[in-house]
Amino acid sequence: MAIATRGTASNYLQRAPSPSGLADVLDVILDKGLVIDAYVRVSVIGIEVLTIDARIVIASVDTYLRFAEAVNRLDLAQTETAGIEELRDGGSAGKKKTEGAIEGAKEKVPGLKSDKEKSR
Amino acid sequence: MAASSATSAAVYVYGVVRGDELPAVAAEGVADAPVELLEHDGLAALVSKLPGRDFRVKRRDLQRHLQVLEDAFGEATIVPCPFGTVVVSEDAVRGMLLTERREELLAALARLEGKVQLNVKAVYDEEELLRELLRLHPELARLQASTKRLGDAGYYEQIRLGELIAAALSERRELDSQRLLRHLDERSEDTVIEPAADYVALKASFLVSRKQLRKFDDALERAAEAEQPALRIEVIGPLPPTAFAAAAAGG
Repeated sequence: MAIATRGTASNYLQRAPSPSGLADVLDVILDKGLVIDAYVRVSVIGIEVLTIDARIVIASVDTYLRFAEAVNRLDLAQTETAGIEELRDGGSAGKKKTEGAIEGAKEKVPGLKSDKEKSR
Repeated sequence: MAASSATSAAVYVYGVVRGDELPAVAAEGVADAPVELLEHDGLAALVSKLPGRDFRVKRRDLQRHLQVLEDAFGEATIVPCPFGTVVVSEDAVRGMLLTERREELLAALARLEGKVQLNVKAVYDEEELLRELLRLHPELARLQASTKRLGDAGYYEQIRLGELIAAALSERRELDSQRLLRHLDERSEDTVIEPAADYVALKASFLVSRKQLRKFDDALERAAEAEQPALRIEVIGPLPPTAFAAAAAGG
């Protein structure tokens, strides 16, 4: 990920001159701009699902479970028994953690996670 | 290619510039086609031809669309069109767009002149955020203890816990986003706020005058410093003003 950092400033602000991840590119060009009476809209294979309204995801049970899992994970890291419990549900917890770090419905699409993961 | 076939083929439209501002666009267009300038009465549409009737394009075409906008934006004021805009023919671009919407386009070009878009995202550090929510809301801490005790049997307690976290987060997000917006609004001309989900506190596009760019960046830098470690602030840009084009055209 190309982050342009101004030499003089501190590094608290993460700067990028241009979107590098697919999700950021979509943020800029999908449904943004002057709409003209289009003859037809082109479709991109595999990204149709991206237009799902993010609000649907916010209120879902799945989201609640992710939050609950995230908050319970906090203590796992602090307690002595962490090792055993992490082993027990390690696989799914690890996967969920990745998903939990991602915002919005857009990220439901396979392959869109890369830029987020790289920045971690 | 013969002129007759060119005028009957569907065209992909990237955006509109003033006719005299942009000599050419080097970037390759959607579906590997070269980008051309279709001029008419002082305005020019950036277009490329679409092959056949298959309007399914590839993922890399998303990047191409953006690249064309960025190239043009580097040299001219542009009114961008959304990705996937296809018009039936070159004649329709001249007629429907450059002629019929001429006044609208000229107004938009005037409003967007000398301005850039910055996409800002403020993201919570998950652990910092959750620990703080637990500190601030004792009932969350209580519920967390009981869900841990119940384990898998506490499915509904987990949902309840998650629901409360979501509510606390939404409250917190409201406060944080408003504070950030107050801080940034005075340095920008316009703002488009996007819905924020999960650990995103604020996701917004700012329209900033090039003359104010340094001040806006300083304001962001100060905010980023003041908000850490709870929030991480990212900025992408300067970008062509895609989020503001429709409003600038009065639409």
